Amino acid sequence: MIEETGSFRDPAGKIFYHKNKVLRKLSESGKERFDFLIKEEILNKSIEKKFLIKTKIFEDDDSLKNKDNNLILEHECVPYVSYPYEWSFNQLKDAALFHLDFNLFLLNLGATLIDASAYNIQFKGNKPIFIDVLSITKYDEGGPWLGHKQFCENFLNPLILKSKKGIKFNNWFKGNLEGIETDELDKLLNFFDKFSYNIFVHVHILNKLDHKFKSKKSLKPIKQKSFFSKKSLISILNQLRNFISNLKDNKSITTWDDYSSNNSYSKDEEKLKEDIVINFVKKNEFKLIADLGCNDGVYSHLALNNGCKSAIGFDFDINAIDRAFLKSKNEQINFLPLYFDASNPSTNSGWNEKERKSFKDRAKFDAIIALAFEHHLSIAKNIPLDQVISWLVSLAPNGLIEFVPKDDITIKKMLELKGNIFPNYNQENFEKILSKKSKILAKNLVSQSGRTIYEFKI
Amino acid sequence: MNKVKILTYLLFLIIMPSKAFAYLDPGTGSIILQAILGFIAASIATISIYWTKFKIIICKILNKKKDRKDIKKSDD
Repeated sequence: MIEETGSFRDPAGKIFYHKNKVLRKLSESGKERFDFLIKEEILNKSIEKKFLIKTKIFEDDDSLKNKDNNLILEHECVPYVSYPYEWSFNQLKDAALFHLDFNLFLLNLGATLIDASAYNIQFKGNKPIFIDVLSITKYDEGGPWLGHKQFCENFLNPLILKSKKGIKFNNWFKGNLEGIETDELDKLLNFFDKFSYNIFVHVHILNKLDHKFKSKKSLKPIKQKSFFSKKSLISILNQLRNFISNLKDNKSITTWDDYSSNNSYSKDEEKLKEDIVINFVKKNEFKLIADLGCNDGVYSHLALNNGCKSAIGFDFDINAIDRAFLKSKNEQINFLPLYFDASNPSTNSGWNEKERKSFKDRAKFDAIIALAFEHHLSIAKNIPLDQVISWLVSLAPNGLIEFVPKDDITIKKMLELKGNIFPNYNQENFEKILSKKSKILAKNLVSQSGRTIYEFKI
Repeated sequence: MNKVKILTYLLFLIIMPSKAFAYLDPGTGSIILQAILGFIAASIATISIYWTKFKIIICKILNKKKDRKDIKKSDD
């Protein structure tokens, strides 16, 4: 039994893992909430509409030693846990609309969400799903939307930041796990940005009111006056929904924006690479693969079409990730692309440095595909070749790694200003290090410049 | 809907408080904002009910006058 270190904020329940299952132990207050969901059939209806992750009561097999006889729930596993700071604009936008739709759906059933944490939403492929069953509670007519401020910081503010200012929210969000503060965003927005009704009300006015009422006065009298009718709550949610659905990504051109259509390969070379990926996937039965430097996910698509169950893509080009996500949605495949800087991956963070997990702690992949990737670390970021290879082979027991030689046009460009400062960067050395760390199963030349794909196994 | 938005916008500009510095209660602004939005929505809804009633009364009066004129015309 392993306790989930990020599950502590709500005393109603606690997540833990047991025999590869995700379980949730409920306290007395959690049981009350859950009984309400069962009684009103909210649990079944939410699962049926694909809002809520599949959840059932866990049949204890005595291996748990549940001495307190607490009620235990079992949840469906998601292939890979991702965080909002790893999502692109359209992923966060979909998650925000999903959150609002779910809350509107619950209000119709006499329930509501007690918070608006973006971490309560996960992606199964390209589809968002709500994972925290205890965030649903009975709606008391007249009660305010308690998750409003959190919704603004977790969803609305990052989306406005990107849409109005063209600033990607990811690094800022990663630094402050609660999202983008309203006060900070309000300072960035200009007079014209605030002409929008929703920005004016939910950013500017909210910030002013927060400053004005920084008092220790109790809010009970306001709460008791029942200013908050259900109708007005539904109207606020719908207004935000309309506003967010009309927000557009404000993109600036990035380095690898047009990589899949404008790269240094010929058609034949591309075909060769694709065949290697197809053969690699076909002869193994991978459940989960990581596509490092995925761009818009060509190789992940191939892997998924040839037997792999799910693929997670990683790339540090936010435009490529957004395009890959939209493509994954259009083609309805089980591919989740995520924003990722391999030279500065997500680390353990939050309370006690254990609330949000690092990339490596979440990396439970069956295989990696790292094509045209290693030189971005060893040449562009000056990371020694042996460290790059050690890191790559530590991510999964199987994989494909493409070696790009110094004669290749991409590396020539990279070294134009730096000069030839990497004497140990050559194919012989690459092969020597890789064979020390793993078993090389295959080696295929894929370009005239000498690019070679190695298949390894630990 | 747009009228409601414009009115809310203007009301906020009028009632907007100036700066204050004290202890921060993270949810306070949000709760008060929702209370104001709820109050404005309810007020506009109430006003629109009376406005509709007022319009019906005016229409009735105008129609009566028109009817009388029509009766007079037909008598002639």
